[in-house]
Amino acid sequence: MKAIPVARLASTLGALCAGALMLSTVAQGADPIKIGIPVGLSGANSVVAPSVVQSAELAVEEINAKGGILGRKVVLEVADDGSGAAGAQKAFDSLLFQKKVDAIITMETSAARNAGLPIVTRAKKPFIYTSFYEGRSCNKYLYVNAWVPDQQVAPVVDYFMKKYNSKTYFLIGSDYAYGRGMLAFTRKYAESKGGKILGEEYLPMDGTDWTAIISKLKAAKPDALITSTAGGAPNVTLTKQLRAAGVNIPYGNLAVDEGTAKSMGADADGIYISGSYLTNIDSAKNKEFMAAMQKKFGADLKTPNDLSVPQYEGVYAYKAAVEKAGSTDTDKVIKALGEVAVEGPRGKIQMNKQRHAPLTIYLGQVQKDGNVKLLETFKDVDPGEQCPNIK
Amino acid sequence: MAQILDIITTAAILYVVCAGLLIVFGVMKIINFAHGGFLTVGGYSALLVTKMGWHPWWGIPVSFAIGCVCGMVIERLVVRPLYARPLDAILATWGLGIIIGQLITLGFGREVQFVQSPVRGAIDFAGASYSQYRLILVGAAIVLGLALSAALNGTRLGLQTRAVIMNENLARGLGINSGLVRFITFTLGAGLASLAGALITPLSSVDPNLGVPWLVGAFMLVMVSGMSLVSLAIACLVLGGAQVLVSTYGNPVLGGLTIVVLAALLLRLRPQGFARE
Repeated sequence: MKAIPVARLASTLGALCAGALMLSTVAQGADPIKIGIPVGLSGANSVVAPSVVQSAELAVEEINAKGGILGRKVVLEVADDGSGAAGAQKAFDSLLFQKKVDAIITMETSAARNAGLPIVTRAKKPFIYTSFYEGRSCNKYLYVNAWVPDQQVAPVVDYFMKKYNSKTYFLIGSDYAYGRGMLAFTRKYAESKGGKILGEEYLPMDGTDWTAIISKLKAAKPDALITSTAGGAPNVTLTKQLRAAGVNIPYGNLAVDEGTAKSMGADADGIYISGSYLTNIDSAKNKEFMAAMQKKFGADLKTPNDLSVPQYEGVYAYKAAVEKAGSTDTDKVIKALGEVAVEGPRGKIQMNKQRHAPLTIYLGQVQKDGNVKLLETFKDVDPGEQCPNIK
Repeated sequence: MAQILDIITTAAILYVVCAGLLIVFGVMKIINFAHGGFLTVGGYSALLVTKMGWHPWWGIPVSFAIGCVCGMVIERLVVRPLYARPLDAILATWGLGIIIGQLITLGFGREVQFVQSPVRGAIDFAGASYSQYRLILVGAAIVLGLALSAALNGTRLGLQTRAVIMNENLARGLGINSGLVRFITFTLGAGLASLAGALITPLSSVDPNLGVPWLVGAFMLVMVSGMSLVSLAIACLVLGGAQVLVSTYGNPVLGGLTIVVLAALLLRLRPQGFARE
């Protein structure tokens, strides 16, 4: 065995270290601002995740074309969280501690968000959550610019009561924080309005066989059905099996987005959806956004939706907050996030209500051709008491 | 009434999903863990048919054909060299299942996709309105079971296959080409798995993990049925029925565990399961 001369090894190492040191000083001046996006590229969220990444890419491209944030370029770091807790831990860990991102801005499942929050707390970085969710997730570093049940459920239930005089409801969901949280709120709300809940059933998130639940639903004979599954596969299997079983009562789906509804084809016909974004919102900002998306992605464009548009606005909210704060310093940015307003495709969004945002909610119905017909608009719906203990 | 239909249709779906696994296990004495992968292949075959704009029923022959071709290639390249090492063969098929999933992800993307359903809606059946497609699956399971039994009991190849199942060395000694029997069996098993994948797509979504949730249940059902198509049918009815009952009267979260737990208990108390000997 040939021995390696120790002196040579040491000098090589020394040179390497010096090189690395030089590199890092050179990079200092133009150090980009890194935004981490842990998102469900695989698993339940994989239907919607590409659209979320696309809208973030557009936001970053636009920002960089106009000189970045405080003169610094913005780059995205995307990581797959597998739509669940285990994947999210890895994704957050690698983004925050290896890629050293300056902020997390993302849409993901509640399971993934809950798994990621302690890691965000440890890393002390701002986290803008851009997915609608079951509400009442409070953390010093967390802001949410999408809707919570208080904003979204009421329009559906009110509409069913008014239009169909629906008195009895059946609730079906995926067995996780979002599914249970949404339906718990729906039950409370419907009961407070004099409605009656005939059943509340859950299937595990990766479950595909809704047979028994659908039989229970048919036996209960409710006036209306409200579902809240994980987005993507569970939503699709449930809707398909409901339609195959001939269930045709008014059907409010709290977890379907426009894009998914479109690709489900005829099975989605007649489903009621409610949310803060529809592609055909008639505003200059939205038309501009749609045109820019169309131009950037062309045939590869994933339909912008209620999960991807908040992501776009989330990036801009971070930009506004950093500019207001004058730096990426976490405490200053956190403070500024609650003060800045973003004019986006959904209108003016300001996360000034206990870390949440008042939003305009649209109630729509999926048509035969997959488009969503706007039925009613509810202006600036308040998120209610989400985090009363957070300053 | 609806409950009885639930049980029968659930059993039929399980039977369709398990048949391919059973015949491979019967002849080759290995559990083909790539079965889930072949189910996924079937789902994507149905997707191709939809994308070509063909009628959804074409999904059945197309998926069977694609599954058979995959089975042939894999038998020749991966499984055949491992005949003498059954444990390694099981590991190899496990890896194969992962590879198939990843290849599909590369080719079709990770996202959930949609396949057109050949029939839609419910029909009135025995006084209850019931999903038309699930009833069709009962017919499919019966046809499949009869066809396989006929092939095993009525053809020369079936006779040779049964001989290989009973005693492979003796069969070889009598001049039966057991290698060929194994080749055909694996091909058929892959084809049937793929066919099953296509048959379940109208009830589920198509994604690269389509087959995974079915694999463990199918494995357990095959374990308790020994090597007979009849006992597989009984196992599907009993365990599938238990799953429906637990989901209905207990809760669906527990229902998902029923098959696995009952099968494990059954094997503990009666090692031969539903098989006669």
